[in-house]
Amino acid sequence: MSAARPYIPQPGRRSAPTAAFPQDRRRQLLVWWREIDRVLLGLILLLMSLGTIAVMAASPASANRLSTSDVTLSDLHFFWLHIRWQFLGLCVLIATSLVPHELARRGAILLGAAMLVALVLVPLIGVERNGATRWLNLGLQFQPSEFLKPAFAVILAWILSWKVRDPGLPVIGVSGGLLGFIVIMLMAQPNFGEAILFVGCWFVVVMLAGLPIKRILTLCGVGLGGLVLAYVFYDNARNRIDAFLGGGTAYDQVDLASRTLLGGGWTGTGLNLGNNKMRLPEAHTDYIFSVIGEEFGLLACGVIVVLYLAIILRVLVRLVDEDRLFIILAASGLIALFGGQAFINILMNLQLFPSKGMTLPLVSYGGSSTIAQCFSIGLLLAITRRNPFLSREAFDFGGGAAKARKAGAQKGKRR
Amino acid sequence: MNSLVAPRPLATGRIRLVDYRRRSLLMARFRVLIIALAFLFLALTAVSRIAWLGVIQPAAAQTTMADALLPPRGEITDRNGVPLARAFPAYALWFNPHAMDDGGPPLVSSPEEVARELHAIFPDLDVVDTAEKLRAGRGAYLRRRVLPEDANRVMEIGELALEMPREADRHYPQGSLAAHVLGYVQDGQGHIGMEQVLQDRLVDPAFRGEPAALSIDIRVQGALEDELKRGMLSVNAIGAAGIVLDVDTGEVLAMASFPEFDPNNVTTEDLIRTQEMVDRGIMPPAFNRVTNQVYELGSIFKPLTVAAAIDAGSITNLARRYQANRPLRIGKQTINDSHVIGDTLNAPQSLIHSSNIVTGQIADELGSDVLKKYMTDLGMGEAPYIELPGRGAPLSFGGEWSRLKGMTVGFGHGISVTPLHLASAYAAMVNGGMWRPATMRRIEPGNAPRGRRVFKASTSARMNQLLRMIAVYGTGRNANAPGFRVGGKTGSAEKPKNGSYSRTTLVSTFAAAFPMDRPRYVVIAMLDEPQGTVASSYQRTAAWNAAPVVGRLIPRIGPQLGVLPDEGRDIDLTELQYLVGSGVH
Repeated sequence: MSAARPYIPQPGRRSAPTAAFPQDRRRQLLVWWREIDRVLLGLILLLMSLGTIAVMAASPASANRLSTSDVTLSDLHFFWLHIRWQFLGLCVLIATSLVPHELARRGAILLGAAMLVALVLVPLIGVERNGATRWLNLGLQFQPSEFLKPAFAVILAWILSWKVRDPGLPVIGVSGGLLGFIVIMLMAQPNFGEAILFVGCWFVVVMLAGLPIKRILTLCGVGLGGLVLAYVFYDNARNRIDAFLGGGTAYDQVDLASRTLLGGGWTGTGLNLGNNKMRLPEAHTDYIFSVIGEEFGLLACGVIVVLYLAIILRVLVRLVDEDRLFIILAASGLIALFGGQAFINILMNLQLFPSKGMTLPLVSYGGSSTIAQCFSIGLLLAITRRNPFLSREAFDFGGGAAKARKAGAQKGKRR
Repeated sequence: MNSLVAPRPLATGRIRLVDYRRRSLLMARFRVLIIALAFLFLALTAVSRIAWLGVIQPAAAQTTMADALLPPRGEITDRNGVPLARAFPAYALWFNPHAMDDGGPPLVSSPEEVARELHAIFPDLDVVDTAEKLRAGRGAYLRRRVLPEDANRVMEIGELALEMPREADRHYPQGSLAAHVLGYVQDGQGHIGMEQVLQDRLVDPAFRGEPAALSIDIRVQGALEDELKRGMLSVNAIGAAGIVLDVDTGEVLAMASFPEFDPNNVTTEDLIRTQEMVDRGIMPPAFNRVTNQVYELGSIFKPLTVAAAIDAGSITNLARRYQANRPLRIGKQTINDSHVIGDTLNAPQSLIHSSNIVTGQIADELGSDVLKKYMTDLGMGEAPYIELPGRGAPLSFGGEWSRLKGMTVGFGHGISVTPLHLASAYAAMVNGGMWRPATMRRIEPGNAPRGRRVFKASTSARMNQLLRMIAVYGTGRNANAPGFRVGGKTGSAEKPKNGSYSRTTLVSTFAAAFPMDRPRYVVIAMLDEPQGTVASSYQRTAAWNAAPVVGRLIPRIGPQLGVLPDEGRDIDLTELQYLVGSGVH
């Protein structure tokens, strides 16, 4: 250990010159291929292809619902649209993951700033849909909060990693202020689901950044209190929670979703043979998990759950032997957003969570949201790039300090 | 790790910063594992919830395309595949006062107007009643079982509050035919007949695509109901029952009970026994008299007694004569005939003329316990064997039989059984001696149950001769359809009323088998309280009302069942003919 002393920056002494980044494109690609987490990329592609099949199953239901007397959408309308968005998303994913680490961080921070401005603009010039103003139309319609999510995780990690330069900075307070601002803007839309996601992401990253246990417990209490307050004062939240607790009426959204989910038993009815899905609103977005349940069976649902878990664990376990705090914070923030959204959607489909307007990431049909999801996965890939030839300090589960202290004490005794 | 236990003097601010960096890195790495555990827990929750949903709330909601193509409830057919009950997708007419959803009145036009328009579509709809329901402002069924074309006309009225939810209904294309066999369906649950028995099979997706075949032959059923109803109406009987049974398999080819009901439209009067009915001792129409009503069936038991006596060896000589002009006195009881037939009679004559006195003596010689054993073997001691849910247990069968009881049972009094008991017993008597349970299910050829032996084959052959003789020479002459070699016995039992027997209220039964040279089917026709009318020559006894029903029925069903009339064939009666002479009177 003493041989490899950590680098201590000192004035007047420059750090060792960094290896020059290969300039020609072929070698850059080769380096990219060596450095990227290929297992994660494979799992993501698998998930996206399952999503394509699921959207194919759900498309007729939504196309039927959204057809009007003037416009009849073809059965696979949403499927073809989805393929198009997915192709675009894949391009964004690869392109983002090609960006070097430093550039990715700076770009994400700038994007975050831009999206914060857009978020402020939403209540002023936003487009209203289904009683909520979440959309911004700047030639291209998009939800600022969708793109803010990955940027937020990176900004959060950036702010919190200031601490390693100066432990005295009130980083948690600053990040909390940012979060509070975003949550207020989201509640105004209203968008309760996204707000919960942002709070959850912040909580995870702050916890990793060393929030004392006592404060964590306090925050849990505050979170619960906040939920109660939201229930009492925030109509959108109250309606959703009431519908969840009250069981709702027959043929409401939750009941229809449950019929659809269980409609195929363990093995499912087979592609395009389900009929409960035809009555389900939002079959291709919020309730696509139920459609998977009907057409491909509960076993396929289990496979989807395991796939999401595999992606999350792949990222987290790989972070355990990472030695830069910013990377740990940013990557776990990104994966917390991704996994949190996935499991909120899954548990909502399984009637364990109140119904939220939240999609199943990378599986549900979505326009700009698919792009945003692909962007955050690309960002994740870019940030977690690592040189396979560098050895890293292995994680010591017992806590190296405790062991050393013990050894020292024994030494002392013997003396 | 010695950076953590580094010597104090070196601890400058920068080194402390490095130390802090390492510690926060360590903590972050450790807490990443906590986050991973949290997600693992979430995934476990989701997977176990999926398992729970799949195991605890299973197939109930399972619908596949194949299911959607199946009828909601399986068909029931007769033995030849003629549909008796089929799924009928109908509409209901439901009044939903909240359909308009604008806080205003539920209907566009006035309730009276809407009721009048509905009346134009359904002429039997009560206008005042319907207007009342519409005005009440509560959700209500205005009508069930609406046909699609009528549903369209209701839609044309243009009232949003008139909703037409689809209903899976049941249609019985043959109307009231075989109503007691089929039963009816209410809210998806079958009642009284095979609809109740086959409930699980009819709704099971694995089976309901395939119709359930009954043993019934709808042509035979139609003929039986037609003739029985005609016979019943012509003598003003309060009820009637009839059955056609295959003697070799136990399959019921037809079973009828009157009064009948329409399973397409079951009313409460069909099901509820009112106080008035209790007072008059009658049952509601849904009651199955064949399997559920027990009667003292009377003289019709006499052949069974004689068969038991021949089989047990107590009658060794059919020519032996018994006294027949003095009532039998056992203690305080007297056994009498309706009229004196002759001084002495032999066993064949006693059957032909239906003598209580002689049958009483035969039963006495046989012994009560032996007769009881035969009756038990014939299934008289328990509820009849059939799938139908309503089965009547016999009355006063149990316990030790006294000498008097044996003698009265010998001519069919003292115990009460259902007509189905009688049919199964007759089948055993004529088919070579094997008793088999009756069944409503079609039995594939060769799969008939083996049955249990009650009589020797020789006894059965002798009884076939005797039954044929009754139809040729005796009380059963009205049933002797030419060419069909009918054999059978009449029974006219006085009904017990207020502790004694009434001479005017009878149960008239005719039990027949045909063709007697190789018996294939047993036919029972029973009339409850027939009156003497011009159609029965002002007689109440079975020879004048039940026997003619069978006499008309057999020529109708014989050819359908593969028994063709043949004057050139018959069972050989020559060895017994001298015993009965040409005419006893």
